[in-house]
Amino acid sequence: MPPLQPPLPDDFAELCRERFGITDLPPEGPVVPRDQLVALATALKDELGYRFFVYCAASHHPKESQCQVAWRVRRLGKGTVSAPFRVIVPDGETCPTLSGVYAGADWQEREQYDLVGVVFDGHPDLRRLMLPEDWEGHPLRKDYAIDTHQFPWR
Amino acid sequence: MAVNDAFRTYEHPLFGFLGHVPGMGVGITTADIILHWGLEKSLWVFPMATSCCGIEFMATMSARFDMDQFGTFTRPTPRQCDVMVVAGTVTVKMAPRVKRLWDAMPEPKWCVAMGSCAISGDFYRDMYCVVPGVDTFIPVDVYVPGCPPAPDHVHAGMHKLAEKIHEVRAGRWSPRKDPAERSVLLQPSIPRIGDPSRDPAIDAAQLDRSLHLDTGCRLAAQK
Repeated sequence: MPPLQPPLPDDFAELCRERFGITDLPPEGPVVPRDQLVALATALKDELGYRFFVYCAASHHPKESQCQVAWRVRRLGKGTVSAPFRVIVPDGETCPTLSGVYAGADWQEREQYDLVGVVFDGHPDLRRLMLPEDWEGHPLRKDYAIDTHQFPWR
Repeated sequence: MAVNDAFRTYEHPLFGFLGHVPGMGVGITTADIILHWGLEKSLWVFPMATSCCGIEFMATMSARFDMDQFGTFTRPTPRQCDVMVVAGTVTVKMAPRVKRLWDAMPEPKWCVAMGSCAISGDFYRDMYCVVPGVDTFIPVDVYVPGCPPAPDHVHAGMHKLAEKIHEVRAGRWSPRKDPAERSVLLQPSIPRIGDPSRDPAIDAAQLDRSLHLDTGCRLAAQK
């Protein structure tokens, strides 16, 4: 049975290790410093050819009082591989946006802002995507009570 | 001759009977009966298909479980419809749209709640974004339970609705309220997490189990 997560592609691991000095390279993606995120994504897209944006996902960790945002980009064509990377955002701080590099990140980051409450710094149009515009709170945060009353039906 | 032979396209033993009894070919009725007969035999449906029950409703309307044989058609606009079939979960964001489409339908109109989600919200009932039943803001005439209901259940529901229209005309059914009153939004009275009538220990246990947290978490409902 193959492993659930394939190991990182060699060129991506080499890029992380040599240019950005990241030594911890788990298969679910290295944790990138926030100020180097856009540089890493630009290098991935322009130099290594990872041109396809797969997803942006976020999760809330209340014990550490932080959010984790994960991206995955893919190189299409023969021998296609994908490169995941993560960013840790402490509560009350912002995360750099990738919508300037990958256009597909625009709505995905809006969704993460809507549901988890990660604020993407420099996003061109950071509005709610799924929920009504007047919704209070971010429901996929772990400290959001699941049956919070919302006017007029909740 | 009671039955005009020129327009007779098929044979029926009753035709001969009608021809032999004087006066049997002429019916006397009231416009009220005729109109209600038309109402209950031609229920045009606006398919408010919000989720997976809509797939089952498509099967109901298509050839195998042919609902057209009862004079029931789907129309793409609420202005031509008598019945709104709410098939699926109604979310908080969708509910104003459903209400708006319901208000666009001309009187007389009826609503059929199809499936557990439209009836009560089912297992999405306690979620943050789901309306606990479409009857919190629309008066529902017939509930068709199931997850999803089979096509014959939907058939039975539409027959029940026709029966209800007939009974209402005959005065054997208490009529609905005034249309102006029916448009008022109803607030559900369900004790939820944070409600003072519930045991707080049960609340804490539920939250801990649902969130996989052993720490006390902030209740947004207890602000």
